[in-house]
Amino acid sequence: MTAPNQPRIAERIGPRTTLQKLLSRFHFGITLFAVALSGLTILLAGVTALRGYADRNMELAAQLGAYGVEPALVFNDPHAVREGLEPLTRIPGIARLRVLDDRGRPLTQWTSPVADPAPVLTRIFFPRPFAVSVQRNGSPIGTIEVWGDSSTLIDYVRIGLLAGLGCLFITALGTIFLARRFEYELVKPLNEIATVAHDVRLHRRFDKRVQPLGIAELDRLGGDINALLDELQGWQGHMESEHALLAHRASHDTLTAMPNRAAFDEQLAERIAAATAHGDRFALLFIDADNFKAANDNFGHTAGDTVLVAMSTCIKETLRKGDFAARIGGDEFIVLIDPLDTEAVPDQLANRIRACVSQPIALPGGETYRAAVSVGVAVFPDDGDNATALLTAADAAMYSDKMTNRSS
Amino acid sequence: MLASLFLIGALFTTPQMSVQAASQTVVEDGSGGMTRAVNRMIGGIASYVRWPDGSAASTRVMCLVGTPRLTDRMAPDIPGPGSIAVRLMNAATATDRTDCDILFLGKMPVADRRQLIAWVRGRPILTITDDDAACIYGAMFCLNNKAASLSFSVNLDAIGRGPLRIDPRVLRIGGGGGSS
Repeated sequence: MTAPNQPRIAERIGPRTTLQKLLSRFHFGITLFAVALSGLTILLAGVTALRGYADRNMELAAQLGAYGVEPALVFNDPHAVREGLEPLTRIPGIARLRVLDDRGRPLTQWTSPVADPAPVLTRIFFPRPFAVSVQRNGSPIGTIEVWGDSSTLIDYVRIGLLAGLGCLFITALGTIFLARRFEYELVKPLNEIATVAHDVRLHRRFDKRVQPLGIAELDRLGGDINALLDELQGWQGHMESEHALLAHRASHDTLTAMPNRAAFDEQLAERIAAATAHGDRFALLFIDADNFKAANDNFGHTAGDTVLVAMSTCIKETLRKGDFAARIGGDEFIVLIDPLDTEAVPDQLANRIRACVSQPIALPGGETYRAAVSVGVAVFPDDGDNATALLTAADAAMYSDKMTNRSS
Repeated sequence: MLASLFLIGALFTTPQMSVQAASQTVVEDGSGGMTRAVNRMIGGIASYVRWPDGSAASTRVMCLVGTPRLTDRMAPDIPGPGSIAVRLMNAATATDRTDCDILFLGKMPVADRRQLIAWVRGRPILTITDDDAACIYGAMFCLNNKAASLSFSVNLDAIGRGPLRIDPRVLRIGGGGGSS
């Protein structure tokens, strides 16, 4: 189903190109047009002017020839006619000369030994010979005819073609230069905008902003993008704080603000892995409130909550840096003493917690309550080398402590 | 423009190539061929001469002394307007007259010729002869026929002494043969 659609989409988009290529092509077109137009104008003007000069040159040559051969015609002397023509034979651009007497009979003629370089040009420029009547005292005594050839024109055409090629070369250079300039002035700022957009999309760098570019339209675009980024950044910040809140809620107990069971399990797994890797030891205290159910029943749930908060405060106070405490059940707390060294004796800590908890707690109802806890200690890896074994050991220790407390 | 300047320069600086009389007028076959050629040549020469007194179009008088060798029907033919009137006379008459513009020296005694040449010196009179192939006896133009063609030579010394002005193109065709 999708296969037949693909070519249609490609067709609609068309071949892709860069802005620089587009500008380059555009510049080349315009420059080529200008060069071609001016070149054509110059060529036409040049050819017209040249044709005028060539015509005048031929006419002048014919007049001079007429002047030179005039006495020779008067004396009907072909040899002198030839001599009179001699200066003309040295002028470039004359293909043929002919002198006719007063009765139209050819007296002498001369043809250039140099071959015509471009007979086509000759036919266009000198379709007919220039004929000048030779006169003596007002009466015609003969005619001189001069045929031009293209040898003088061919130079102009050659130079014109060379100049055209040169212009093309300069056009190409100019186009490259202009394209480079445009790349610098237009494509570069566009690329900056693109880079910012790319960065934002790929790396979530919402703090990135488009710098002022100095081109009004692009600055407007940049300003809009920046405004959009401001909004995105606001949303992102809001989302992050929401996320953090949710994450905190998921891992913490709302009443005591201590990490919950899920957070504790994760923490314990991490610490077991770290201690196994480094060969360290740590202790786990399992703390359970004694007769908490009775307190709840006697004073109400609000009082129970107050007791739990007071307990959590005591536990938090005894923690050192690196230790970890969590509420894993209704009245069950756990403390991880990590690292376990000579200064940190688990039993002492347990006693400190016991002492703290046994202080009178003011209940909301005005009464006071003295809480008591049972504490079980388990040491990793002495009492268990995995979470379950460690917890079981600590639970068992706590239970025996509770039995001891009850019996005393 | 440059080409035309070069052309004018070339026209006057072209070295004179031939030592012999340069002019080689074609003489047509037939009885009147030489006569026509001679008359045309004298008329042609006269048309390139400027007399100090006036225009080229006016009628010129040619005083004919001695016997012409090339033709007995002397009637010079000037191209265009203007004409030449021919007067036959002897040497003594010629020096008395004052209206001679052209003096044609035919075959005559050496003394007469010398006298006439001396008399002409300084006067605006064009001298032409057909009896001096080498052109050394003082006539300005010397006609000469050579194998079915007619030519003329120029004596630049004689022309230089006189007040007549002669078109340099004619002098070039004359080749300056027989003088200097």
